[in-house]
Amino acid sequence: MTLSMADGWHRVCRADEIDDEDVVRFDLGARTFAVYNTPSGFFATDGLCTHEEQHLADGLVIDDIIECPLHQGRFHIPTGQAKSAPVCEHLATYPVQVTDGVVYMHIADD
Amino acid sequence: MSDYQATNASSSGVRLDKKTLKALSRRSDRPGLRWLATWAALLTGSGTLVYLSLATWWIVPAMLLHGTLLAVPAYSLSHECAHGTAFRTRRLNEVFFWLSSLIYIEEPTHRRYAHARHHTYTWIKGKDAQMSFHTPLTAWSWFMEISTFGHLIYEARLLTRNALGAFDDEVIEFTPASELAKLKWGARAFLAIYGGLAAYVIVTGAMWPLVYIVVPRLVGGPIMQVFTITQHAELEEDQPSILRSTRSFRSGPIGRFVYMNMNNHMEHHLYPMTPFHALPTLATALQEQVPEPDPSVVRINAEVLSIAVRRSLGLDTTARHIRQADGYAGREPMPAPAE
Repeated sequence: MTLSMADGWHRVCRADEIDDEDVVRFDLGARTFAVYNTPSGFFATDGLCTHEEQHLADGLVIDDIIECPLHQGRFHIPTGQAKSAPVCEHLATYPVQVTDGVVYMHIADD
Repeated sequence: MSDYQATNASSSGVRLDKKTLKALSRRSDRPGLRWLATWAALLTGSGTLVYLSLATWWIVPAMLLHGTLLAVPAYSLSHECAHGTAFRTRRLNEVFFWLSSLIYIEEPTHRRYAHARHHTYTWIKGKDAQMSFHTPLTAWSWFMEISTFGHLIYEARLLTRNALGAFDDEVIEFTPASELAKLKWGARAFLAIYGGLAAYVIVTGAMWPLVYIVVPRLVGGPIMQVFTITQHAELEEDQPSILRSTRSFRSGPIGRFVYMNMNNHMEHHLYPMTPFHALPTLATALQEQVPEPDPSVVRINAEVLSIAVRRSLGLDTTARHIRQADGYAGREPMPAPAE
């Protein structure tokens, strides 16, 4: 299957470039995202914490949870749900596919 | 995206490779539970000493020991749980966050958001929500801080206002609107618990809450403050580097235990997601990039007190044995009295 940018799919990195239970930052234009390798699979969310806009790619992945590096607020990665204070607002999530060992995420046009 | 820069490793020019940081940040319930069991055993022992020394002069050292073992670890555990790093299991963090904050005397929702603000704007006047004393430190500010009168007065006022829903502007600024109801009910719960304990003592005449909890908490409070005042006193305000605003100090095993390794306070501010049990390893990993830790908690306190008194007398305030912001050394004009 070929995933094309024309359809909103963007190549992030090779799947083996994200360690198990880890996260990488992916920038596209002025936007920034976080792409995760969790025990439940690969996922993508907005890249900044909804509390005080820290890059979640600097945070800690614990199972399906991403913990913000500055204040340790937590989000559920697959759904983007805010799980514990100080975060209250959910994260936006994005579709992810791994094809031929490459991670793609889908970003709809604004 | 906002244009502010949070005070952390990045704002301080400190780097640590991601794999090392990830390994150090790994969570576990075991170190926290082991620490908790040790604390419980120590409190049982010191409480027994208080019981055996009742109606004798031995009550003085016994109460000092029990108070220290109650107040300092309660502060430390409340702080660690505010970060969610004491245990891997979040529910354990929350349960012990509440219990330890009851002893420390700060409602948990306020503590969490005020502390988050403290990490975002460490030692930046008007922004840091936990600059608990007026700077530069004078003899009077030192007394209010160490005696815990400052903390008790502040918390009594804050709990009352928050319970009434009459939030201070500062509280509204750093607490999300959706959390204000939780803050209000948390303050009400705290006041109800403290009030219930007082009513229980008055109605039943039971003395055990006073002997084993209330008086020790008041006696141990100044020892708790002796630890916490080391964190930023005499260091530089209003700039983004943790290396200039925050202090680590050398400590023996007892100090490290009761303070949950927070003698590595600079390293904690650089990488706050590191749990207490990994802080000594983090400090070793960063030692080439950060200033030397100051000497012991006793030496720091002796010098801070000396400086505060000299400042109040208009004398030379240069520190001899501890790190000090450049602007605080030398002979300074008398500071304006605290508001």
